[in-house]
Amino acid sequence: MPSVEERRLVDALRAGDERAFTKLVQEYGPAMLRVARMFVSSRAVAEEVVQEAWLGVLKGLGRFEGRSSLKTWIFRILTNTAKTRAVREGRSIPFSALASDDDESGGVEPDRFLGDDTRFPGHWALPPQRWDAAPEGRLLADETLELIEREIAKLPPNQAIVVTMRDVEGFDAEDVRNVLDISETNQRVLLHRARSKLRRALEEYLR
Amino acid sequence: MRLDRELSCIEVVELVTAYLDDALGAADRERVEEHLVFCDGCSTYLEQNRQTVALTGRLVPDDIPAPLRESLVAAFREWSRA
Amino acid sequence: MIAYKFLEAGGVSPFAGFQWPVGEWVDAAAADPCRRGIHACRIADLPFWLGKELWEIELDGEIVVQQRKVVASRGRLVGRVGAWNRAVLDELGRDVLARTRRRFGAIAGVGGYVGDVQRHLASGRVPLAAFAAARAAEVAGGPVEYERERARQAAWLADRLGLGTG
Repeated sequence: MPSVEERRLVDALRAGDERAFTKLVQEYGPAMLRVARMFVSSRAVAEEVVQEAWLGVLKGLGRFEGRSSLKTWIFRILTNTAKTRAVREGRSIPFSALASDDDESGGVEPDRFLGDDTRFPGHWALPPQRWDAAPEGRLLADETLELIEREIAKLPPNQAIVVTMRDVEGFDAEDVRNVLDISETNQRVLLHRARSKLRRALEEYLR
Repeated sequence: MRLDRELSCIEVVELVTAYLDDALGAADRERVEEHLVFCDGCSTYLEQNRQTVALTGRLVPDDIPAPLRESLVAAFREWSRA
Repeated sequence: MIAYKFLEAGGVSPFAGFQWPVGEWVDAAAADPCRRGIHACRIADLPFWLGKELWEIELDGEIVVQQRKVVASRGRLVGRVGAWNRAVLDELGRDVLARTRRRFGAIAGVGGYVGDVQRHLASGRVPLAAFAAARAAEVAGGPVEYERERARQAAWLADRLGLGTG
């Protein structure tokens, strides 16, 4: 259900309030560009997708009923626009977790666990060590952000898109399901794979 | 030979995302938590997942380039005139 | 119904991180936004949830029995089980080790678990030692023996802490 704020915002846009529009663009534009870039072949095309998506938002404003949040609705338009463009480019991103273009070795390596011939099969042989003890505080935080940025860029697009929407942009599972039109199971499998890789990269970096 | 309700660490690791999403059924949630009581490795792994999510959440995308912003404003003006 | 609850230091729940008030009724939704309800142990469940603080909790409303706990729609911490502390946890550990050694020390394929239990106790990991002991029993005699070992641990706790009486 639309919040009072959202209804006011939509009314302002319909009334031609340019400041309201600029604010909205400022707020969602950067994330929209980032997500669009994961669907298509270049930065230039991603910008075109964002342009087209905003046009779609404006044209569709009369239709927005507030059944989802404004943000979710905008991102749905964005991803639909991006998907269409990607298909035109001959790129299509499978979101089905079954269609994996990934060798899944990004998770925890099997040799970190005890084998079937031991007293505790499947238990940790080399358990992870806590990260609280990492020194250097603040600087470390900036560098680790850059690391996460780099690792997301290395992910297969479907994983990158889901983890960006869930963990960077804060959409919940239901939102992502609606925006990307994929099952909750699929989005969770993709999120799991993405997070496993990010965690592993952090573990190696912080060792 | 294994107790059929017991989870090994490999299995807990696989369930971590669903656990954090509260998407496990009551029985699986219980098995995971039961395991976490005695397993430091998995407790740490879970905590690292939380920390990873928290760090990822701090990413802020770059502003959109000025030319794009300007063309969006132009599009808005044209749209509101119509 | 009266049951028991292990909490972390300061009366904080180990999984939901909820700070429990004492003596006040708490509704499931407040304690656990993910609607899982108020969790509590019967005596038989205690060995599975060993934690820093042990509390007596009164449960009310709809009560559901799960395999290793009960879940209620509301609960109220009645009081701390003062007899429970680190020293008693360590005593439990020693009891578990003694029993495991006595029962399985000489059995091929199971005797190795005695060393595991010992090692875990040496590093202060009593819940892991208790699990290893139950695992040893299971390897020796199947799932029924796993449950029996856990039941022994529960009985030891009830007896040592004077639970379920009065």
